[in-house]
Amino acid sequence: MTGGYDERCAADLANVAEGRDLSREDRAWLARAVTGAVRPNRDKPTWDLAHALAALARAAGARDGRDLVTLALDPGLGHPAAVEARLGGAAGTDARGLVPAEGEGWRTTWSGLVRLLALAEFVLTAEDLAQFATVSGWLDDLAAAPDADGAAFLARRLARHLAAYRNAHLPLAPLERRFRAILGFLDGRRAFTDDDILACWRAEMHEGERPGFRTVAEHFVTFEAACALLGGLEGLAAPISLAEHEGWEERLDASLADLAAADSADALAALLAGWPDGPKILTGAEREDLADFLRLEPFHRTRPLTTLRATSFGRVQSGIANRLRRGGGGAGIAERTACADAESYAALQARAGTLAAHLARMLRIAAALRIADRDGLAPEARAALEAAEADLRRVRRAGFEDRAGLAAGFAAAEAALLRLAEEAGRMERALAALARQRPLDAAFAADRAVFADAFAAAYAGEATA
Amino acid sequence: MSDEARLLAEIHAARGLMRPGGSGQAALRPGHAALWAHATRMPGAPVDLAVARAIRDDPDTARRYRAMLGARAVAHAPLAAAASDGALARRRVGPFELEILAGEDDAPPLLILRGTGARMPRAIEAWLGDETVRLDLGPPVEGVILLALDPAVPDAALLGRMLGDPASAVFLL
Repeated sequence: MTGGYDERCAADLANVAEGRDLSREDRAWLARAVTGAVRPNRDKPTWDLAHALAALARAAGARDGRDLVTLALDPGLGHPAAVEARLGGAAGTDARGLVPAEGEGWRTTWSGLVRLLALAEFVLTAEDLAQFATVSGWLDDLAAAPDADGAAFLARRLARHLAAYRNAHLPLAPLERRFRAILGFLDGRRAFTDDDILACWRAEMHEGERPGFRTVAEHFVTFEAACALLGGLEGLAAPISLAEHEGWEERLDASLADLAAADSADALAALLAGWPDGPKILTGAEREDLADFLRLEPFHRTRPLTTLRATSFGRVQSGIANRLRRGGGGAGIAERTACADAESYAALQARAGTLAAHLARMLRIAAALRIADRDGLAPEARAALEAAEADLRRVRRAGFEDRAGLAAGFAAAEAALLRLAEEAGRMERALAALARQRPLDAAFAADRAVFADAFAAAYAGEATA
Repeated sequence: MSDEARLLAEIHAARGLMRPGGSGQAALRPGHAALWAHATRMPGAPVDLAVARAIRDDPDTARRYRAMLGARAVAHAPLAAAASDGALARRRVGPFELEILAGEDDAPPLLILRGTGARMPRAIEAWLGDETVRLDLGPPVEGVILLALDPAVPDAALLGRMLGDPASAVFLL
């Protein structure tokens, strides 16, 4: 697992997020609270949670932790309006949310409470409920004494609990090492080039880590997204700037939130993974090709060369890794490291072009299916729709012969289709611009020598075995 | 800032966790709240049949439910002593002792629960295979709870039969 988390963690989070139908932003917050991507204090979410639970215990006059568990597990409390409807007007609340008890400098809004309750469900049910008895016992203790001391005590317990969970399920050390290598390589620079990514990967290959090229490129995607934030963090290290950063904690949290949620509301990988069944607008192979090209979003439009490298040589490298794992099958290691079968950049560009053209064609057909009443349209628009209509009759794909089913299938896929067509078009233009600057055949030949050299050195032991 | 690499790693993992890859399994199973409601229900209260069925048919759901029940229980014994053979007349559940006095003539069998725990249980739930039964225990008198296992009351008769079986699990709630 190279993503820094294991399957258990992904399942624990998905159970809570899906059960509560959390918004994307709230899911991202929960993911950050779990991985620890919260600054300046990683333990702030558990501190807030403990105080919220103490306030809720006081408001409800809870005798034991049972009422708190019931609140924490309630899937109906996944949205601010629902939480306000349920808890608003109770003792210890005002129009905005929970108010602090005497002497506590703490409060939370209804939307903050939505997140904290989701975190409460997570700590209760994580590891498939293995810790449920322990954590619900802590809530019993809190309910017995829901004061500031009780809240602080619970906060410490929960922080330790979450730290232990991270140790068990979030193997962050390799990621941290890799980012440290990237930071060391860039030596204070924030801007980097395609060749920096390649050089960084080669250095790690040389040191024997042998990470996938794609994996290293993924780290650069995160690094690039985080650069603005890191610049801000550095500024904060200077003592003078703290005073200038009124509300910096909130701003920092907002930047971290944007990073976790990713910049686009619908990540492209999610669109492809959740592609609806129905008419074969995209075949399985087409979806896989698109996923391969778009996996390093946004590099497919901003760094086409790295996208080509990851698609062509990343595939060679995963072939080598798979063969080593299986212990046999297909071409030998020495043969694979030579990259003889690597797909050329010109071929990849052609394939990207075909995919973009196909998506554009499907988009025109979607328009023709949707717009039945064409009387009021301009002649050019009408002609375009009629051409698409004629084109539709030429398509030989499963599900395209039944007009009603086809219209429904296109309607279900329309938003995703539009987005993918747009991104495929941007990738096509980025590749064309690259080809004008740097002829692809020459670039491919040069890269093949570099990758073959790195593979041969890194896998020499296995190649001769 | 020395923390940079660590923060980047945490952000990277959080972004990874935002990617799709749900098994879709979760939606088919009763949620945590439904299992919790079942675990904390009053004896005799209406039962959500879909939840009861999932607990019976799906081992993972049953495990989760038992984890909740165990958390709420004053005491529980997942399984009786394996060494005993034949029907049990007496068994220990945490700090409590359960004894069944056989019925005589017209009198039904009697469950006697003695305990030294600070908190006496209010209900008992027993499990055997995929069968489960929950009964209200009534208030203790001088540290002893008496419950008549009336053969005419199906749940009471079932509880008596289960408690006598060494393979049954007992939760005192």
